[in-house]
Amino acid sequence: MSPRPPTLREKRRYILARIEPAGTVLEQKELYYAISDATTSLWGDATTAIITPAVVALEHGHVVIRCRRGTERELAIAVSTVTACRDVRICLRIIAASGTIESLRSRFRPKKSPKSKTQPGHESGTEPEVEKFATETGAVEEHTLPECTFAKKTFFIEQCNGQKVDVIEKGFKNTNRLFLTKEDLEDLNATTISDRI
Amino acid sequence: MKITDAAVYPYPLGDTSVRRLALEAEALGFDSIVAADTPSGVYGGVEVRSGLMIRDVPVKDVISAVKRAKDSGRVISVNAANNNFNRAVIGIKGVHILRGIQSADKTAFDHVAAKMAADNRVAVDIDLSSIIMGRSVVRQRAIHRYMDIMVLEQRFEFPITLSTHARSLLDMRNVRDIAGLCSLIGMDVPDVERALSGVGTVLTPREPAVKVIA
Repeated sequence: MSPRPPTLREKRRYILARIEPAGTVLEQKELYYAISDATTSLWGDATTAIITPAVVALEHGHVVIRCRRGTERELAIAVSTVTACRDVRICLRIIAASGTIESLRSRFRPKKSPKSKTQPGHESGTEPEVEKFATETGAVEEHTLPECTFAKKTFFIEQCNGQKVDVIEKGFKNTNRLFLTKEDLEDLNATTISDRI
Repeated sequence: MKITDAAVYPYPLGDTSVRRLALEAEALGFDSIVAADTPSGVYGGVEVRSGLMIRDVPVKDVISAVKRAKDSGRVISVNAANNNFNRAVIGIKGVHILRGIQSADKTAFDHVAAKMAADNRVAVDIDLSSIIMGRSVVRQRAIHRYMDIMVLEQRFEFPITLSTHARSLLDMRNVRDIAGLCSLIGMDVPDVERALSGVGTVLTPREPAVKVIA
């Protein structure tokens, strides 16, 4: 079967969204189901069929969602109602819309500098400092993550990006993520903050 | 005009510290937030206003709580209940916002309450969390109730506030998303702008109708 000529194809648009919290590992298919559910729940089957949402790329903590041209607004509203993906709490922050995937990819792909050539499998640039520490020392294990205390409890520092620090409570029962700032940790217990963050 | 999220719940009510919520709010395009049970301050260029949320108490207790919090600069809001309660609360001087209309009775906020809210400058809060997180009947009911509120707002022009009721930064939405969500309840862009500055409107003292010049 020969492919349809470009003039007869459906016009499509692509929406770029950032996945929060940073570092959340998701599967493309699961995210598609979450977006599709949100769209169907908000707009119904008939409108969702017109929007035809699809997840076309999921890389570097960003997702590219495809829709039919003219339905970007509806899709954006539906995407703002996505709160979880397979019991993992997430939030999709829409960054841009475009007619091509490539122009969106240029927005989130880390720019390669000629001086710092990375080994295959290693990605640089946007990775947080904690991640860097983990990769430099070898295997990424839970106990290698730096610790801190907040509200008289001990936490592992999961992510650290600028002022923002995401922590997870040490232990087996409460593994919920807390979203703090460096200032919060400094105020409460300055002596226990790891030097690595 | 300050773009304000009229209700967020920082740690320990939620999982995000007030500083982090302020940082996130700045990134999302807000100028200020109203945080429950948190001292006022400015973090990263975002003004954090202290909020007092009164809920599930009789009118008598609301009056005493409002008296205690008077002149503290806090944003006082009361959870809506039945029609009589709402009318009584709107009449109390010092109450700024009436919340939770979407989960109150169908007749909880009628044209009389709307007129009173306009006269006393009490805002009605639109809680977007019920649209963002609610599904099926819950969301449908909330949208229907807010559409009804907007009909009364067009007629009586009482203030409206918008809030995400975020307990986490993941529950917050940027201003563009909020405008999109508000379009579901029939709000256009000027309505959304007015609603986002609603907290500032209810906190600003009203100018007297008659001005004595000499």
